[in-house]
Amino acid sequence: MDINYVGEHLWAGTLGNLLVILSFIAALFALVSYYKASTTSDSSWRPLGRLGFRLHSLATIMIFGLLLFMLANHYFEYHFIWQHTSNDMPMKFLMSSFWEGQEGSFLLWSFGHIALGNMLIWTAGKWENKVMTVFSSVQVFMSSMLLGVFILEHRIGSNPFTSLLRDHPDFARLPLFNSATYLEFLDGRGLNPLLQNYWMIIHPPTVLIGYSFALTPFAFAIAGLWKKDYHGWIKPALPWTYAGIGVLGVGVLMGGAWAYEALSFGGFWAWDPVENASLVPWLIWVGGAHLMLINKNKGTSLVATFSLICLTFILVLYSTFLTRSGVLGETSVHAFSDLGMSGQLLLYLFAYLIMSIALIAYRWKDFPKTKDDEALWSREFWIFVGALILTISAFQIAFSTSIPVINKVFGSNLAPPADPVAHYNSWQIPFGIVLLVLIGFTMHLKFKKTDFKKFLKSISLALALALILTLGIGYALQLGNIYYLLMLFTSQFAVLANADYLIRVLKGKSQKAGSTIAHIGFGTIMLGALISMSASEVISTNTSGVDVEQLGDEYSNNENILLMENDTLPMGEYHVVYRGREKEGIYIRFLVDYYLKEGNTYNKSFTLTPFVQLNERMGNVPEPDTKHFLINDVFTHVTYATLEIEKPSDKEDYKEIEKDFYTQGDTIFASNAILVLEKIYRGISDTTIEMTEKDIAITARIRAIDFNTKSHFISPVFVLKEASYIEPIEALNDQLGLKILFDKIDTETGKVQLTVSETKVAKKDFVILKAIKFPFINVLWLGCIIMMIGTALAVYTRVIANRRS
Amino acid sequence: MKKTHIILIVIIAVAIAAIVGSISDSSTYADFDEAFSNVGEEYHVVGKLNRDRPTIYNPKKNADKFVFYMLDNNGIERQVDLMKSKPQDFERSEQIVLIGKAVDDKFVARDILMKCPSKYEDGTPQGVNPENIPKA
Repeated sequence: MDINYVGEHLWAGTLGNLLVILSFIAALFALVSYYKASTTSDSSWRPLGRLGFRLHSLATIMIFGLLLFMLANHYFEYHFIWQHTSNDMPMKFLMSSFWEGQEGSFLLWSFGHIALGNMLIWTAGKWENKVMTVFSSVQVFMSSMLLGVFILEHRIGSNPFTSLLRDHPDFARLPLFNSATYLEFLDGRGLNPLLQNYWMIIHPPTVLIGYSFALTPFAFAIAGLWKKDYHGWIKPALPWTYAGIGVLGVGVLMGGAWAYEALSFGGFWAWDPVENASLVPWLIWVGGAHLMLINKNKGTSLVATFSLICLTFILVLYSTFLTRSGVLGETSVHAFSDLGMSGQLLLYLFAYLIMSIALIAYRWKDFPKTKDDEALWSREFWIFVGALILTISAFQIAFSTSIPVINKVFGSNLAPPADPVAHYNSWQIPFGIVLLVLIGFTMHLKFKKTDFKKFLKSISLALALALILTLGIGYALQLGNIYYLLMLFTSQFAVLANADYLIRVLKGKSQKAGSTIAHIGFGTIMLGALISMSASEVISTNTSGVDVEQLGDEYSNNENILLMENDTLPMGEYHVVYRGREKEGIYIRFLVDYYLKEGNTYNKSFTLTPFVQLNERMGNVPEPDTKHFLINDVFTHVTYATLEIEKPSDKEDYKEIEKDFYTQGDTIFASNAILVLEKIYRGISDTTIEMTEKDIAITARIRAIDFNTKSHFISPVFVLKEASYIEPIEALNDQLGLKILFDKIDTETGKVQLTVSETKVAKKDFVILKAIKFPFINVLWLGCIIMMIGTALAVYTRVIANRRS
Repeated sequence: MKKTHIILIVIIAVAIAAIVGSISDSSTYADFDEAFSNVGEEYHVVGKLNRDRPTIYNPKKNADKFVFYMLDNNGIERQVDLMKSKPQDFERSEQIVLIGKAVDDKFVARDILMKCPSKYEDGTPQGVNPENIPKA
C-alpha cells in the first residue's frame, strides 16, 4: 500500500544528504591534496587543498544552516527534528535543541575547526601545508560522523537527515503513519527541560568552540615534529593557544554559573563528571601553553611541551567520549544517550594518540639536548614545576572521573567516591595552594638566573600584605581549617604579587600585562570560590528544635525546612514567608518573601520565586532562585512540593490560636499577619451597633499587618449592657481569615483579654525549602572577568608581536 | 641527578598516591545482602522502588526523612530511610542507586540517584490532537 503523504519536505533530506556526502569527500580531497603539498615540491597541490577545504567548509556550513532551518520550521518528518524540538518550544532554545543532538554537537565542533582552518589558510604561511593536513584529517573524521552509512554491518556516523518514517523501520509500522496527513498530528519530543535554561544556550557551545581551538596548537605541534622544526611552530601557535584557553575557560566557568543558578545542589562547582571532563583538557592545556613559553624563551622541555599539547587535543576527544558515550550514566546530572558513535570516537581518539606518541618517540633522538641543569631560581624552572602540577591535578580528576570507564575495561565494580566534593577537594585544594604560590612568585623571577636576594625583596611586600589580610579575613570568617587558611593566604599572595609586578615592574605597560592580569584573575577566582563556599551558610535549618531524627544521626541533615503557606520562619537574619504559588503555563512558581526585622516592624526585603517546570514526558525539573547582593547571595530552592494544588474547603471553620491578656502596644502573631493592639478606648466607631445611653462600650483597635506590610484594622468591642451584663462583639477580617473576640477586662491591671481565631483550611499548601547564603561570591565572578581580560590582552599582544616580526 | 628528574619522581609518587587515594575513596556497588552483612559500612546499592508498598513522607515531622521500600537486583526487599527530603518525581524512577549503610534492619541512605524513564531515551512518535498544537 503506497500512501502519498501530504506536507512532507523531502527536498530538505535530499539536499542534506548530498551536502553530507560532499562535505566528507571534500575533506578527503583536502587531506590528500595538503598531504601531497607537504611531501612533494609540486606547488600545484596547495591550491587544490585550499579548494577542498573551502568546499568542505561551504558544505558543512550549509548543513548547519539547513538543520537550523528545519528545526525552526518543525519538520517533524525528520528524526533529528522530531527528537529535539516540539511545537511549544520557544525559539530562543533553537540552538540548544541543535546541539542537544550528538549530530548537532559534532557540527558545532566541526564549525569551529572550519572557522579556524580558514583563518590559518590565510595566516599560517609556510606552516599551511602541514597544519592543514592535520586539520583536514580531523575534518575527514568529523564529517564521517554524519555519514550514517553501513560498511560491513557497522554503521559509520549518524545522519541527521534520516526520515522518521522511511529510515526507522520500528516507527514505520506505527498506526500514525497510515494517515497520509500524519504530519498534522505529529508533535516533536522536545528539548530536555534541564536544558531549557539560558545558560544552556551558551555554555555547551562555548565549550565546544573551546574544544575546536585545541586543534590549532595540536596541528602546529604535529607540523613542527613532522618538519623537524621544534621551535618555529610555537610563535604562530601561541595566540591561538591563548585564545582557546580563554574560550574554553569561559565555557567551563559558565558551567559553574549554570550549576549555581539553575541546579539544585547549591554551589558553584560540585565536581560533576561532565564538568570535570571539560576542566581536565583545560588544565593540561594551560600547562602546555606555559611550557611553550619556556620553549620559546630557552628552547628546553621539548618532550614535555609536545606531550602536553598533543594530550590536550586527545583529552578533548576523550572528554567528548565520556559525555557522549553514555558511559557516565548515573554519575552525572548531564549524561547523554549513546548514538552508537562511541566506537568511532574511540577509533578517532586512538588514531591520534598513537600518531602523537609515535611521532614524539621517533623524533626523540633528534631533539636538541641540554646538558646543564636548570638554575633553581629561574623562571623557567618554576614554570616547569607549575606545568607538572597542573598535569598531576588533571590526572587526579581524570582518574576519579574515569571510574565508570575503568569498570568497563577491567570489569571491576568500583563505585565513584560517595562524597565527590570531599574527595576531589582533598586532592585539588593542596594542588591549588602550591599552584597559587608558584603563580605568585614566578613572575618575580627572571629567565635563566635571578639574584635570590633581589627576588626575596621583590616578593616581600606581597607576602607581608597577604599575611596580614589572611589573619584579618580568616578571623572574620572564623576559618579553622588549615587548608582553607593556606588557600586564603596563597590566593591573596598570588593576586598581590602579580598586582605588585604589574605596578612596580611593568609600570602598567601592556606589553607583558596580559599574563599578569590573567594570573590576578585566577587568584581572585580561587579567593572567591574559597570564601563563598567555605563560609556559605545553610539558613534553612530546623529552628523548631523538634524531631531531629535519632536514627542514623551522622546522616541526619537539617538543611531542609517545611514552610506552610503564610507561615513565617526565622532563617538567618531573615524572616521567611511562603506566600503561595502561581501557575503559568508549564511553570509553577513558588513565592517566597524575605523580611528583615527592624525594631518591631518587618520590612519586606525581597521575593524569590524558585519554580518547577512541569514536563509530562521527561520529568519535572525544579529550578532555584537566587537574590544577588553586592556582598552576598541568598539561594533558595524548593526541594519538595506537592504539585497538584488542593483547594481549601469552603467551610469557614475557625480555630482558636491565642487567648491571653494584653495591654496597649502588645503584639500577637497569627499565621498570616502580625497583630498589634494599638489602642483601647472608650466608645465605638461602628454606628451599626445599637447602643443605649446606659451601655458602656470599649473598643480594642488592632492593627493587623499582613506580609505585604499592608495594615488592616480589626476592632472587637466589649460592651457592658446597662452596667449589668456583658455582650462582646467579635470582629472579623475575611481576607486574613481572622476573628477576634474581646471578652474580658482585668480591672486591676487594665489589661484586656482577647481571643484570636483563624480560619482552618482543610489542607494548607506547603513547600520544603533549602536556603543558603553565599558570601562574596561576586569576588569569584570578578575574578572570571579579570582572567578573561588578561587572556584577551595576552592574545592581542601575541598577535601584534607576530605581525611585527 | 638533575633537579627536573627529582621533581618528576615526586610527581610520579603523587600520581600513584592519587590512584590509591581514588580507589580507597571509592565505595563499591553491592546488594542488600552484602550491605547488611557489614552493618555500618557504606555502600552503593542499586535497585527498584517496590510500588506495592507505601512510601512515607511526613515533612511536618521531619522534612529530611523519607521512607520507602526498595528491591535490590536480587529481589531482596528492605526498608530504606533516606535522610533527605523526598525527591521530586520519585514515583517515576525506574532505577535507584542508594548511597548509605545498613543500620539495624533498615538501610539508611544519605543520598540517592535516580534514573527516570524516557528522560534521555527515545520514545515513539505519537499523534496529538491538531487543536492542541499552538500556531507558530
